[in-house]
Amino acid sequence: MLMNQIIEISIPQLLLALLFILVAQITSLVQRLGLNKDITIGTIRTVAQLFLMGYALTFIFGAQNLWLTLGIFVVMVFSAVFIIRGRVKETQISYEVPTFLTMLSSYFLTALFVSWLVIGVHPWWEPRYFIPTAGMVIGNSMSALAISIERLFSQMRQQRDVVEMKLCLGANYREASADIFKGALKAGMIPSINAMMGVGLVFIPGMMSGQILAGTDPLIAIRYQIVVMFMLVGSTAISSIIVMRIIRRRCFGASEELLVSPE
Amino acid sequence: MHPLLEIRDLSFGYDKGSSPVFEHLNLDVRKGKCVVVKGPSGCGKSTLLRLICRLNIPRSGTILFKGKSVADIPPPELRSKITYVQQIPQMIDGTIRDNLLLPFTFALGQHKSAPDDASLERMLDAFYLHGISLEQSALKLSVGQKQRLSIMRAILNGPDMLLLDEPTSALDAESATMLFSIIERLNTEEGKALIIVTHSDYQPAVSQAKSCTFRNGKLECS
Repeated sequence: MLMNQIIEISIPQLLLALLFILVAQITSLVQRLGLNKDITIGTIRTVAQLFLMGYALTFIFGAQNLWLTLGIFVVMVFSAVFIIRGRVKETQISYEVPTFLTMLSSYFLTALFVSWLVIGVHPWWEPRYFIPTAGMVIGNSMSALAISIERLFSQMRQQRDVVEMKLCLGANYREASADIFKGALKAGMIPSINAMMGVGLVFIPGMMSGQILAGTDPLIAIRYQIVVMFMLVGSTAISSIIVMRIIRRRCFGASEELLVSPE
Repeated sequence: MHPLLEIRDLSFGYDKGSSPVFEHLNLDVRKGKCVVVKGPSGCGKSTLLRLICRLNIPRSGTILFKGKSVADIPPPELRSKITYVQQIPQMIDGTIRDNLLLPFTFALGQHKSAPDDASLERMLDAFYLHGISLEQSALKLSVGQKQRLSIMRAILNGPDMLLLDEPTSALDAESATMLFSIIERLNTEEGKALIIVTHSDYQPAVSQAKSCTFRNGKLECS
């Protein structure tokens, strides 16, 4: 097969891939896993969401409009916060607005840095580069943030008495929650650091596989992937530290009293 | 001269609109004095201690420490001067030394000189913790030992006043007796002001101990 020659997947070929779903459905049925409904919904959503996305991206790439590109970016961040909210399930301390604003600003700067300075695209918001880059940053950091935030709240609850003991001995709120904060931050960051260890040995990343399947020279694809890996670690670190510091402050009142109520 | 602690017209409730746990509470504690607060479970005894060191915030009223509102004192400073010792003693995962020197690791305690091993060992003896090594894990101690260690740790921080929340509730009779004798010594020999919350019939063997009882959301002192 020649480089840069893309083999298009026809609709019948696409339907053939449904056999994999059939295998999953049969497994669920035989093992009585009760997942058949979820697999069906998941399949329909995958097809519908990706087709919708395909059409939307075709439209956005064609429109070449700065405000439309930025608008899509804002919607992506908003959706990420919504998903984090679903995973964290915290009702007492509000964290959504600072999370949204931090994600918006830090991911914008990361995507801008990568598409403008590292890849060197002009204009910097060229949707074909800016949107996929932003998508990867948001998707990856969203998972990291969800893990960190969830861990922070659950540990504050579990170790409430220890935090208060430290406060009573003269610790400020940062000192009283230092171990919890560090643990939560690390828990969120470890997956993207682990990904750097396994990349190229254990797995070929999605973006790189996609580029190679689409006919890109693997030596070009790896350069993109290296940039992406570094970008993901960096953006996760920046957004996690800012968001977590804000949320930790919100766990304490004006007199540095712990507001997170017991489980 | 101001009392060490003045509580004026203090009211507290958990949520806005909920009925108050107590209202219009008044209490004075002078330097070196001991106050025992009694009352049934849920009457607000522990909450009163938590309000004094601002682990909870009152609905209304004022608490003055040395004539200054506790709300105007930086929280770490306030809490190292009026130290609340929790009902269930909490230890960090480390040695007994790590636990005793914990307050000296915080920004506020770093300028204080930490006691050396010899003085810590002397104190362990005074707190009936004979034969216990500073290298031992604090998490492996019994509840009674942890309780004594947590009071010792609070004392090392140099507070003017200790707030002891049900200090003997989880202890057997022997450990409770040891603890009472420590408490009485803290008051008579070291001049520490104490507020002790308890639902037992404990009456400290110290002169001029004030006894207060919660009745129907009011604090009555004798």
